Amino acid sequence: MPFDVFDRLLRPLRRGPVTNRYPDVPLEPPGATRGLPVLDGSRCDGTAACVEICPTDAIRLSETTWTLDVGRCIFCGACARVCPRDAIRLGSTVELAVRDRDDLVIVTQREARP
Amino acid sequence: MSWPAVMAERPENARHRIGDGVVELVDPEALGPRVADLVAAGGRHVMLLGLDERSVGGNGLAVEAVMLTTDGSLNRVRAALAPDEPAYPSISSIMPAASWDERELKDLFGILPHGHPDPRRLVLHERWPRGHHPLRKDVAAGDRPPEADRHFVPFEVHGEGVYQLPVGPIHAGVIEPGHFRFSAVGERILHLDARLGFVHRGLEKIVEGRSFAAAAPVVERACGVCTVTHGLAYAEAVEQLTATGIPERARRLRVLLAELERLYNHVGDLGNVCAGIGFQPAVARLGWLKEQLFQLNDGLTGHRYLTGIVAPGGLWADVDAAALAGLPARLAAIGTELAAAIRAILRSEGVMARFHGTGIVPQQTALALGALGVAARASGVGLDLRRDRPSGGYRDLEVRPVTASGGDVAARFHVRAQEAHESLRIMREVLDRLPPGDISVPLAATPAVGETALGAAEGPRGASWIWLRAGNDGTIDRLHLRSASFANWPVVAAAVPGNLVPDFPLINKSFELCYACTDR
Repeated sequence: MPFDVFDRLLRPLRRGPVTNRYPDVPLEPPGATRGLPVLDGSRCDGTAACVEICPTDAIRLSETTWTLDVGRCIFCGACARVCPRDAIRLGSTVELAVRDRDDLVIVTQREARP
Repeated sequence: MSWPAVMAERPENARHRIGDGVVELVDPEALGPRVADLVAAGGRHVMLLGLDERSVGGNGLAVEAVMLTTDGSLNRVRAALAPDEPAYPSISSIMPAASWDERELKDLFGILPHGHPDPRRLVLHERWPRGHHPLRKDVAAGDRPPEADRHFVPFEVHGEGVYQLPVGPIHAGVIEPGHFRFSAVGERILHLDARLGFVHRGLEKIVEGRSFAAAAPVVERACGVCTVTHGLAYAEAVEQLTATGIPERARRLRVLLAELERLYNHVGDLGNVCAGIGFQPAVARLGWLKEQLFQLNDGLTGHRYLTGIVAPGGLWADVDAAALAGLPARLAAIGTELAAAIRAILRSEGVMARFHGTGIVPQQTALALGALGVAARASGVGLDLRRDRPSGGYRDLEVRPVTASGGDVAARFHVRAQEAHESLRIMREVLDRLPPGDISVPLAATPAVGETALGAAEGPRGASWIWLRAGNDGTIDRLHLRSASFANWPVVAAAVPGNLVPDFPLINKSFELCYACTDR
């Protein structure tokens, strides 16, 4: 098979690139992706079930705020599962890089009272 | 009768049935002879673990040996140790596969296996102070004792012309930390001392006191690439403890997930073996294929590495319906491309010359050291839990374990390639008969304090086992994970001597073990 070598050389050229042009073309994660946990502040009544279940202590709750430390979060979704008010959802945001450690701490205002 | 009650009575050779394991109580001195009997009857080492009985009504520490019988059931032999001087005669000379288990329980419980051939530290390094044993119940999870002023002394071979070659723990590449100390003459390796433990996170301590559901994300993250395997072993243990039967759809989907995990690992590992000799075309081709599998995983479950899907009681969520519908076609395409890629590698004489005869593990060594998974099957030891002790959806599937007899890199390559295709076949079978319905049930019962169960799953690197004991109100009293990597590291160290230094990366990659689930 003397011409096999030419076939092998040409095959990648015929196939073309298999990579994506990210970040020029935005990344669209699949529908099931579990990205950044997001709180619907109008539904949260402060039962703190999320704080208790969180395996990495990434969540803090105060009278008026729900604070998530993305630097600790492992995106397991336990918080969303245990919330009795269905206030937490793991969204599709997966581009989470920041320049400052403090920017990984995300504070959400919550409005619902028990 | 619960476990503490049995322990309190301490009858000679008492047998008590829990789950599918018979727990037999013996004196510390009788542990070795009893294990020798079980080995003679064809028993294989599963794990040897330390226990602190004080939380379940006992008065001190204990060790338990778990062994797999030839018919797939378990033998469990437990010895309660003297509270003031927890020690027992080491069983490593009877069963070398238990050597690392004994070193670990010496570190974490302060239990002394008298007469151990290599009683050095394993998980806790030298700077961890003496007398501080974190898995004992009187030590709190967050304790950080002051560092001791001691240093690592490697095992080295000395003599004329012998030199030492230290490699790691930081490596050139995004891989896990481990220190390898070679003693070599010229290019030939006389001895390899592997030092792990750099990613010990105390996971077994962290989960104590947590509910079964809350511990699941921690257990499956023991490492990044065996998440379904560890999740399944854990779920099986929990479901046994709580007498929970899971829905048929979850049972079948779990098989699909386990095989997806095996497939992306095997495809990636086949590529990595080629990286071990710098055969870049195959690395790129199989890397691309692995990326396709990651994207497939992501579409099905929302996670490229399949975490957060296996739950105690079933699955946390059903797989994505659209992704599932397209799965058979994508798997078929991947199978075709994989076969072509493997053919191209096998046709390359330069590659096969490096693979053949390199890193040989003789069958006797594989048996003695308790090799698991690909490492065992490539040395002619036909172990596969999917066939030998099938659980869940594997009960009604025929799995054909792939074996080879060479025990070298080529044999492990061959076994992996064949197993990848076997995984594709199993997935097709599952997809053909996937029933609709629920994917989870609540855990049925709360187990009594002190009840125990074992769960296991055959992962990409072999069998991983979870030993689980219930505490108060459906929490965990003690969990032990013995991963397939933990079992196979001593086998790597045994495969290396006699080979050339530049062949070490190749040999290491032909096992492709995890550090994280070894260290936990």
